[in-house]
Amino acid sequence: MSMSADLPAPPDVRGRSLDGGAPYVINANENAALCHSLGTEPAHDGTAHPIYYFIATQLGMGVTVAGLCELCGFDVADGPMIIGSAVRFDAPLYVDRPYRVTGSILHIERKRSRKFGVMDVLEYRLALVDGDRDVLVTTNTWVLPRRELS
Amino acid sequence: MKAGDVIGPVKVDGIPTQTIRAWSGFLADPNPIHLDPAAVAAIGLGNQVISQGPLNLAIVMNLLTSNLGKVQIEQLESRFVGNVFAAEPLIAQGRICAVENDRVTCEATLEAEGRGPVITCTATLRVVP
Repeated sequence: MSMSADLPAPPDVRGRSLDGGAPYVINANENAALCHSLGTEPAHDGTAHPIYYFIATQLGMGVTVAGLCELCGFDVADGPMIIGSAVRFDAPLYVDRPYRVTGSILHIERKRSRKFGVMDVLEYRLALVDGDRDVLVTTNTWVLPRRELS
Repeated sequence: MKAGDVIGPVKVDGIPTQTIRAWSGFLADPNPIHLDPAAVAAIGLGNQVISQGPLNLAIVMNLLTSNLGKVQIEQLESRFVGNVFAAEPLIAQGRICAVENDRVTCEATLEAEGRGPVITCTATLRVVP
């Protein structure tokens, strides 16, 4: 991958809020179905499968993935790809508990890559909040292939 | 539990198409590559639907939380480096890098059998008393 000074600048979306509106609730029945789909039983103590870090933040943020792409001047039909995700849990996730989602776009960078041609690398941070404390913080990184610039 | 110990391996015979379909619902992700083999064929990637990255990651999470006693994931950093196709045999495995008090750091991968890693992770787990 390399920086490319000859390319037009990516959209100026750094700092754009991704705060969610209505609280996100992990439905107990859905958590059970998700666990069963993986061949496991849901926990008996009310904790949700930890993959809900991703699901709850993605679905609870203020825009859909399609809307996030649109903010970045990218059509979701052109195939955004998640390439990385990091999470720090400060507490377990529980079913049937309302969580707020806060977040923002951290970074967007336009590059050339041998695999994708011209692409924007988008990084955004989301937090899942219970009352006034963060339950987890996650950072996701996506590639938005800019075939029209390749 | 000590540095160098192997976690797993856990073999997955293949993710069924109905599981991938169910995860499209869990993720509210209507992308046709998870639902319609024709959509996958149209982009030249074969004739099996592609599973969602978070579904693949959940398999690695289960590896970590089911094979080391009672632990909670405290930090996890994952790279999605390849696609997983429906019914494709998979192997999840890991290795403990360090154990310090109640914290275990480890590496883990999900590999498509014969094709190599599709997810690579580093994790810190907390041993729950």
